[in-house]
Amino acid sequence: MSNGTAKLFLKDVWNDNPVFRQVLGICSALAVTNLLSNTLFMCAGVTAVTALSSLTVSLLRNVTPKRIRMIVQVLIIASYVMMVDIVIRAMAPDIHRFIGPYVGLIITNCIIMGRAEGFASQNRPVPSLVDGFASGIGYSMILITIALVREPMGFGTILGVPLPAREQWWHQWTIMVMPPGAFFTLALVTWFARNRLEQTMKTGGK
Amino acid sequence: MKKTSPIYILIFITVLSVVFGFGISFVNYATEGLLKKNEALHRNRVIATAFMLPVTGRTAGDYEAAVRGSIESFSLAVDGKTIQAFRNKTTGEVGFVFAGPGFWDQIRGLMVLTPDLSRVKNIAILEQKETPGLGARIEEPGFLNSFQGIEPAWDSSRGEFIIIGPSPNPSARNRIDAITGATQTSLAFMKAINADLAAFKKAYVPGKGTRHE
Repeated sequence: MSNGTAKLFLKDVWNDNPVFRQVLGICSALAVTNLLSNTLFMCAGVTAVTALSSLTVSLLRNVTPKRIRMIVQVLIIASYVMMVDIVIRAMAPDIHRFIGPYVGLIITNCIIMGRAEGFASQNRPVPSLVDGFASGIGYSMILITIALVREPMGFGTILGVPLPAREQWWHQWTIMVMPPGAFFTLALVTWFARNRLEQTMKTGGK
Repeated sequence: MKKTSPIYILIFITVLSVVFGFGISFVNYATEGLLKKNEALHRNRVIATAFMLPVTGRTAGDYEAAVRGSIESFSLAVDGKTIQAFRNKTTGEVGFVFAGPGFWDQIRGLMVLTPDLSRVKNIAILEQKETPGLGARIEEPGFLNSFQGIEPAWDSSRGEFIIIGPSPNPSARNRIDAITGATQTSLAFMKAINADLAAFKKAYVPGKGTRHE
């Protein structure tokens, strides 16, 4: 990986993280994070769609009329989302039964449109692919962290596997299963991540 | 041709739509077999679970063999509505598909009754999109197993053949506990079951088939 690509990747994953820095993609961060398995499939879907749509928008940037570029981006994103939806339905039908409605809503995920319009429409294909992929990874990182808090507290499991000796010490936090649990956890994760980021910036990354 | 000309825009958007439409069709076509297989597996798994059929393994073929060997399907027409039903060829137990709006989306399930319709043998969920961890707990064995052996109150004047949640008589033989934290889903589930139980009872004659056959 070249130095420029590495910097771009790090910027999207951490310094300009779409969730805790740009506050994008919050809907799904709240909706699917009460089970880690659902979160992983959602993250894979968003990462694939962001990377592929950024690549496609970039490939077409010189032939896309400026006036209709937004509708072109929506068409590209919606098509990839439909493909991802079909693939998840075929490969993991049990997971799709739970997250199916949210997969369709990837179309409205602000991160994807944001990267397509903000970066891919003005940059070359490879950096755009990296930018889209890294944004997806940055989004996934936060969602997985939230799921790793919510699932053990809400269900006493991680990826469906019960915590050790769960019956003896664990008590369900129903609020962690419900949307307010996601709000609290997202706020705490955002506070922690931004705090760490500011410290890193103050010390110049040392 | 200029990129701003209407003809260019029209051609560009048409070509793009065709290309992506073709892409979606291709993915759909490539996974069609798998999707059908998954749907058949899910359906057979639900039927086998609801009728408590012995299944030799966990593959799609095992479930299909179990269902094909023991279950016959038929439909009942009542009040302009068609109810999908199943019968165990050996035991005479009969099941029907119930459906109704849940808290978020439609809930569909399969309820199996004893041949004389006096008791519920079992219940299984075909489709639901309730909140994971709350309403979605209607799929958990702990909740579904509580239906086993309850006796629908066919003489209920309010159509509450089965009660999920509080009742003036907590020990009633047609009552089970609701799911804590999912009151709306429990209520929706109860309404869906009772509405289709009424229709099923109206159309089905125990031991014979349907009143409309």
